[in-house]
Amino acid sequence: MTHDSISFRMTNKQKCFQIFRPQVEAFGEKHALSPKQVFTLTLVLDELITNILSYGYGDLDEHPIDVTLAIDGTRLSLEISDDARPFNILTAPEPELEVPLEDRTRQIGGMGVHIVKKLMHCIEYKREDGRNIVRLEKDITDDNACTA
Amino acid sequence: MPVNHSTENGVAVLSVAGSLGADETQHLEEAVLGLLDKGETRLLFDFSDLDYINSSGLRILVLAYQRLKKNSGKVAICGVKDYIREVFEVSGYDKIFSMYAARGEASKF
Repeated sequence: MTHDSISFRMTNKQKCFQIFRPQVEAFGEKHALSPKQVFTLTLVLDELITNILSYGYGDLDEHPIDVTLAIDGTRLSLEISDDARPFNILTAPEPELEVPLEDRTRQIGGMGVHIVKKLMHCIEYKREDGRNIVRLEKDITDDNACTA
Repeated sequence: MPVNHSTENGVAVLSVAGSLGADETQHLEEAVLGLLDKGETRLLFDFSDLDYINSSGLRILVLAYQRLKKNSGKVAICGVKDYIREVFEVSGYDKIFSMYAARGEASKF
């Protein structure tokens, strides 16, 4: 069974996408992940970190964003920890998927979160010591039973 | 993210290569708005060489759709790589945009 993880810290002042994308790709290469799995992990990080950068901070200071990417057997997991405003992905509003596209008014902000929730499983959120900690899993074999 | 524009059989084709994320959407948005302002009513996005898209990239497709719907126009997409296709499925956009495997199939949409 494979057990491995990588952790890295970025800040809101950096070009985060250009930092985490090569990290995810190197991790994917090391563990022979498929292009789809690498794409999913990259996209999920992108959507969540874009949300943090866009809506998370009420000041102009530099803030750390910590990411851990792990593989445990067939189970991939992703954890993001940040000190931005509280944001619980599990209670975030869904896009208006039943409303015709031309009539939607809030589909844009919600779509990124919707995509994350569809692509990942076993999502957990907690607010601890002033930090948002979100943990998401994805099974390589599409067995979506949660370990926790 | 190079964006190439051509016209085939009355369809405006936008070929997008590389990555379509937060840093690149403005460039594509300007290209789309330029075509709409010129009166194009059928837009085909050729994503054969696209290796990444996120929700801000998808937003440009929605923008084109919303603008063209008012003028009985259409938006279609071709060449989406298999590993990217899931994002169209989970967003429901695969039901809204006509999606074709190759540009040749899409030329008469």
